[in-house]
Parts: sequence; C-alpha cells; structure tokens
Amino acid sequence: MFDSRSRIWGWQRHVGDIGAAALATGRAARGVWNVHVGTLAGLIRRISGRHRLGRPRGEILRQLYWIGNRSVVFIAVTLGSIGMVATYEACLQVSRVTGDYSQVGGQLLRLVVSDVAPVLTGMMLSTRVGAGIAAEIGSMKVTEQIDALRMSGVVPIDYLLVPRFVAAQVMTLFLSVLGGVVMFTAGGLTARHSFGVSPAVFFDFSYVHHRHLVLLVVKSAAFGAAIPVVSGYFGLHARGSSEGVGAATTAAVIGSSFAVIILDFVISAANLMTGGEL
Amino acid sequence: MRGKRVGVAAGAARVAPPRRSLAAAGVAGIGESVLAVAEEIGGIVLLAADLARALVPPRVDARELWKHLYRMGVRSVPIVVLTALFAGGLMTLQAGPFVKQFNATGLAGWAAGYAILREMGPILIGLMFSGRVGANNTAELSTMTVTEQLDGLRALAIDPVRFLLVPRALAMVVTLVALTVIGDLVALAGAAVVARLVLDIEWATMYHSFADNLRPFDFLHGVYKAVAFGVSIAVASCYFGVTVRGGAVGVGRAVNAAVVASAISIMLLDFFLTYLTG
Repeated sequence: MFDSRSRIWGWQRHVGDIGAAALATGRAARGVWNVHVGTLAGLIRRISGRHRLGRPRGEILRQLYWIGNRSVVFIAVTLGSIGMVATYEACLQVSRVTGDYSQVGGQLLRLVVSDVAPVLTGMMLSTRVGAGIAAEIGSMKVTEQIDALRMSGVVPIDYLLVPRFVAAQVMTLFLSVLGGVVMFTAGGLTARHSFGVSPAVFFDFSYVHHRHLVLLVVKSAAFGAAIPVVSGYFGLHARGSSEGVGAATTAAVIGSSFAVIILDFVISAANLMTGGEL
Repeated sequence: MRGKRVGVAAGAARVAPPRRSLAAAGVAGIGESVLAVAEEIGGIVLLAADLARALVPPRVDARELWKHLYRMGVRSVPIVVLTALFAGGLMTLQAGPFVKQFNATGLAGWAAGYAILREMGPILIGLMFSGRVGANNTAELSTMTVTEQLDGLRALAIDPVRFLLVPRALAMVVTLVALTVIGDLVALAGAAVVARLVLDIEWATMYHSFADNLRPFDFLHGVYKAVAFGVSIAVASCYFGVTVRGGAVGVGRAVNAAVVASAISIMLLDFFLTYLTG
C-alpha cells in the first residue's frame, strides 16, 4: 500500500530541494566555465588568424557602440545620483561627529576608484547589456539560428560571443572611469551646495595610490569578462519559445549581477590579504 | 561607415526636404528622445493612477495575491540572502583601512552598518529584485499582451488592471519591503563575519558597535526607501509589460526597457529620499 516514495516527509522534501538547487548551481557554474573557456579559445583563434570562417565584419565596432556609447547616459545618471547620495550621507555623519570635512573628498575618491565605480558600473551594465545579450542570443537560439550557424561550419561562440566579449572588456573600463568622474564631480557639487565644502578641499587626490588604479583596471576587466560570458551562457541555453527567452533574460541579469558582487568580494579580499590597503 | 552615411543622405534627398545640417540633426535627436522619455513617464504615471484608483475599495483577488507573494517573495529569499551576505562583507572590507589607521575597531560596525541600513542594503536588494521579479513580471505580462490575452479578459468584462496588475503590484511592494528587512539583518551578519575573519575584530566588539551607534531611524530610513523602490519597480514593470508591441522581439525589448527604467528610478528616488528626509 505504501511504497517508499509516499513516505517522504516535509523536511525530507526540503532537503531534496536544497540538494536539487545545489546541483543546478553546480551545473550552471560548469556551463559558465565552459562558455568562458570557449570564448577565450575563440579569441585566440581570432588573433592567430586560424578558422577564418564566420567572422562578422565590423561586429566589434557595432558592439562597442551598442555596449559603450549607448550606455553613457544611463551610467552617468545612475552613478551621478549615487555620488550625490554618498557624499551627502558622509557629510551628514561627519557634521554630527567632528565637523571636519577635509577628509571626505579624498576618502570618497579612494573608495570610488578602488571599488564603487567599477562595481556599480558592472551592476548597471549587467542589467542593460546582460539583458540585451541574453535576449538577442536567446531569441536566436529558440528560432534555431544557432543551429543554422553550426550547420554552416561556424562556431557560434566565435561568431556571437567573441565580439561582445572584446567590446565589453574595453567598454567596462572606459565606462567605469567615466562613471567615477561623474560620481566624484557630482559629489563635489553636492558638498559645495549643501555643506559649503570648498572644491579645493574636496578634490583631494592624495589618498589614491597606484594600487587603487590597478584595482580599478583589474575589477573592470573581471566584470567586463563576467557579464558577456554569464549572459551568453544563459542565452545559449534558452529553451522553449518566447517564455524561454524571458526566463533566460531574467537569469542573465541575476547571474551577472551576482557574478559582479562575488568577483568584487574576491578581488577586494585578495588585495587585502596580499598586503595592499583598500 | 562614410559610404553608408552618403547613401542615407542621398536617399533622404531623393525623398525630399529633410536635409538638415549635422547640428540640426543632433538637436532633433535630443528633442525626439526627450519626447519619447516624456511619453513613457506620462504613461507610467497614468498607470500608477489607475492602480491607485483600483485600490480605493480594496478588493483584491486573495488567491492571486497569495500566489504572487509566494512566487515573488519566498522564491527570492536565496538570492537576496547571498547578495546581502557579500554586500555586508564588502562594506566591512571598505571600512577596514580607515578603522586600522585610527585603531578604532569600535567604529567598524558603525561605518558598515550605517552604509548597509541606509544605502547599500535597499539599493542592492532593489536592483536584484528588479532583475529577478520585475523582469520576470514584464516578460510574463508582455507575453500575455502580445498573445492578446489582455484583450480576451476585456472581452469577458474583466478589468485587466484590477485582475492582473493590482495583485502583482501589491505583492511586489510587500515582498520587497520584507526582503529588505531580511537582507539588512543578513548583511549585518555578513559584516560581522568578515570583520572577524579578515580584520580580526571580535564578535562582541562588532555587536556593541552596531547596537551603540545605529539608531532605529537608520533602519526605518532603509525600509521606506524599500517601499518607494517597490512601487517604482512594480509600476515600471507593469507598464512595459502591457504596452509591448511587436511579437517575441518586442518582449525582449520590453524586458530590457523595464530593467533599465527600474534601475534609473531606484537611483533617482534614492537621491531624492536621502536629500529630502535627511
């Protein structure tokens, strides 16, 4: 009357759910790794000039424009308002404790260069660019255009992902720098307007060391690799029809934002462990 | 590129007058995008008014509301917990050098907790929520719109706003607030863990630092930010869901637009709320 399956208690099912989630996460991580390796291999093939088949002309330029130029306003608006908020909060705290605003600008700049600018740019690009890449590649996948590419002897990753990867690498760095500049300038204006801090005091570059600039470049490179690879993975694995594309888009946004946060944590911790201050 | 532009210009000249100079074209482009943004903001405000009016005698389909509360809230807990854990750790890492410099371990919790409760907690959780729930909601509603299911409801004299949108919007606001409360707590825990592991600060020091320096108002500040973010994510994702055009490709575009609009409105609202309420 009772076979062993009907005797699953509630808590056992929860344990099973946790296990299933862990397995799914592991599978996704392996898939993302495969796509990453595939993209790097495609990049090497492209540079070494082998496998000439399936090189879209001018695709990198188009992607540079789409990922970079079309994101400028978005990045400037979001990072600018965050810069204003961060300065306002910091000055508010300082005014309650000491009232000495001389360090706010310098410390903010250190924080912006070494952490906030690349991370927030990465998060913003994950929503805009990640969603775009997953939607585009996902709709190609469900309309079997990817299979058609493979049939004609083109490696889909070379054709689709390598240009986006290169463009994202370049543009994440530029947009991080731009976002940092907008953020710091907006912060300086807020401090001048709300707390009367003189720009000569606020724009203080003495806290930024070489190591912070290295961190900016390393983090931008890491996020610029993570966003196209993670979104490309979810796009290439879209299933079904338009619902599948929607699900892939959502997963790409979440996955690449999460990848940005984890990578930032790992890089910051590694920097601290190897003796550099943040 | 140049050849292409000449071709376009020649084509335009053949059709007739619009032979603008580059400056005039630039100004026209700015005007067009301003008009497009204004139209979208107007549509979002009208939809918000519709939603508010539908709530006046608060008759909400309880079963639908319950379903969405589960799908949007309970199912988002893992990603929010993970995000909050890493975000809290990052805040401690960033406060680390400052704390070490002045040897003021008692202030680490103050700096990290203040940043978490007032800014980073609500913003990061809001961004993750808009990526997971907002994007999913837009994808679902826009798939229903392009397959004319909304017209079907109207033909049955069922108001789509009341039946479809109100439960979703309500569920999004409630769950984002609940998730922010959970996430704040987890982020504080993450901050304490990283402080113990990386900066060698005792649990008790961190706890007293939180308890002595953070006021209930700091926590409430984050909570009412979460209410505002929830409303803006809900209205924006519903708006782009019901106004979608053009089949499956339109669904992808709508999801992208919804995520970008949510991110921008989160950042701008954050600025105004901080600035107005102090």
